[in-house]
Amino acid sequence: MAKRETPLLDQLESGPWPSFVTDIKRQAETKPECWDILGILELSYKERITHWKHGGIVGVFGYGGGIVGRYADVPELFPGVEHFHTVRVAQPASKYYSSANLRQLMALWEKYGSGMTNFHGSTGDIILLGTRTENLEPFFWDLTHDMGQDLGGSGSNLRTPANCIGESRCEWSCYDTEEVCHSLTLHYQDEIHRPAFPYKFKFKFSGCPNDCVASIARSDISVIGTWRDAIRIDQAAVKQYVAGNYPANGGAHSGRDWGKFDITKEVINLCPTGCMWMEGAELKIDEKECTRCMHCINVMPRALRPGLDKGASICVGAKAPILDGAQFATLIVPFIKVSKDNDFEELIEFIEKVWDWWMEVGKNRERVGETMQRVGLPTFLSVMGIEPIPQHVKEPRSNPYIFWREEEVEGGFARDIDEFRAKHKA
Amino acid sequence: MAMSKEELKKAIEEKALTSPKPQLYIKDFYAVDPDTKPRDMKNVANEMVREGKLMFWSSGSTTMYAIPSRIKNEEGAGGIGNVE
Ligand code: HEM
Ligand code: HEM
Ligand code: SF4
Ligand code: SF4
Repeated sequence: MAKRETPLLDQLESGPWPSFVTDIKRQAETKPECWDILGILELSYKERITHWKHGGIVGVFGYGGGIVGRYADVPELFPGVEHFHTVRVAQPASKYYSSANLRQLMALWEKYGSGMTNFHGSTGDIILLGTRTENLEPFFWDLTHDMGQDLGGSGSNLRTPANCIGESRCEWSCYDTEEVCHSLTLHYQDEIHRPAFPYKFKFKFSGCPNDCVASIARSDISVIGTWRDAIRIDQAAVKQYVAGNYPANGGAHSGRDWGKFDITKEVINLCPTGCMWMEGAELKIDEKECTRCMHCINVMPRALRPGLDKGASICVGAKAPILDGAQFATLIVPFIKVSKDNDFEELIEFIEKVWDWWMEVGKNRERVGETMQRVGLPTFLSVMGIEPIPQHVKEPRSNPYIFWREEEVEGGFARDIDEFRAKHKA
Repeated sequence: MAMSKEELKKAIEEKALTSPKPQLYIKDFYAVDPDTKPRDMKNVANEMVREGKLMFWSSGSTTMYAIPSRIKNEEGAGGIGNVE
């Protein structure tokens, strides 16, 4: 495949940021088919229309996911990208790699694919971009047999679950995110590798409200670590921060002189619920008003720590902007214990309750968050058998109507009107 | 009374053979037997894929089912004009 002239794309290289055009040109030195990626994109820039077709084959033998079929609609012009399928590879929990593993994976992808990769974009897993249909089975064989690694989820499957580094390196983790992610990945192998739902479904696990895997923005079920008791305060360490002896934020912003640390300005006044104050040299927190936002803990990690009664909150229904715009997940369960002792039974029960309902009520290509929005939160809560609590309420109501369900009305809707009117004149 | 597995397979095959478009959503199969739970229906359809009676067809984000002989090539009957 010959080098392509790409005057329009070349302009992108002149900007201040690193350019994918430069990257792909470099890759084309060893993988000439990459010239055709640039060529087909240049043509699209000229004609203002895409030349990619979506969809088709989805997997390797026995799997119904992990491969995303992509084809050029002008293969005669760009034979190098006639097929340009994406392969999803499941990442290890917390994304711990050995360099040996990465080298082996790259060697495999140089052999069977374009060599281009996208590690951990918004979808989360390892994305290997660009291969031909006839390479899929040999690639899969080597991946599973030589490397003991597996494909991830795509299509209407459960997508590769993801988690933050959790207890492996982070003192803030309120449950073992790696254990949950690994256990549920094994538990739901069938759902990951074969279509199971009307549309995609994701769950992600963060150990604390810093939510390092952005689960609240990206997953249908987002499990975020939290605690029920008070933030632990070491008053001696608070004094050290106030005196400027400990660097704020663990020194993360120390590249520049920000002036003297000011606990009122940098911590107390930034507390979103205004539940902190100083009493003399003592820092006080009104625990029941604290929303566990992590801000004060992030700023003064040596003085403040999450409480000891730890567990997680479950939020449901985030999605990226495909139909109705981006949406964060909504808090559904404020606190559950997450424990391997009962094989995460409560979490699994919750997940399957959501699935059973969504598979029935959800429309084709409707994420569970959209289904929830369509039926309304009160309906969703009652389906899940969850009592509404103030934390479910987003804002004070602006609508004066109250709707009753029949079982909430004494005597039901079939109550005798004459009997009622006898006591209450119209 | 939910249908037996064999009855479900026959009904699914019939539906997939006669649908206007070759690709069907899993939800299209729910209608063949309202008494079968969605997750059981999914298991039957996936078993039919293993047996070669159906094939998967995916846009990348949504997976559909089709009778292999109704799909002209591996890209699938001209696609369904989806976004991902
Ligand atoms: C099927 C027939 C009717 C429907 C569906 C209907 C519906 C409504 C609705 C939705 C409101 C707004 C309520 C609010 O937000 O406060 C309203 C207000 C009102 N309607 Fe009707 N209406 C009907 C017939 C009538 C008739 C026949 C009358 C008068 C003879 C009437 C007089 C009013 C008045 C005065 C208000 C204002 C009440 C207020 O602001 O406090 N409506 N109606
Ligand atoms: C104008 C061009 C394109 C637009 C606007 C577009 C948009 C999108 C969007 C919004 C997503 C969903 C992202 C997410 O939910 O994480 C996506 C996913 C994806 N796109 Fe594209 N895309 C374009 C072109 C392409 C091309 C040219 C390819 C490959 C040749 C491609 C391959 C994929 C793949 C493999 C996925 C993941 C599918 C999934 O798992 O949901 N896209 N794209
Ligand atoms: S989400 Fe919390 S527990 Fe997990 S790595 Fe980030 S800060 Fe640590
Ligand atoms: S965690 Fe957030 S809400 Fe709670 S006391 Fe600290 S700053 Fe305030």
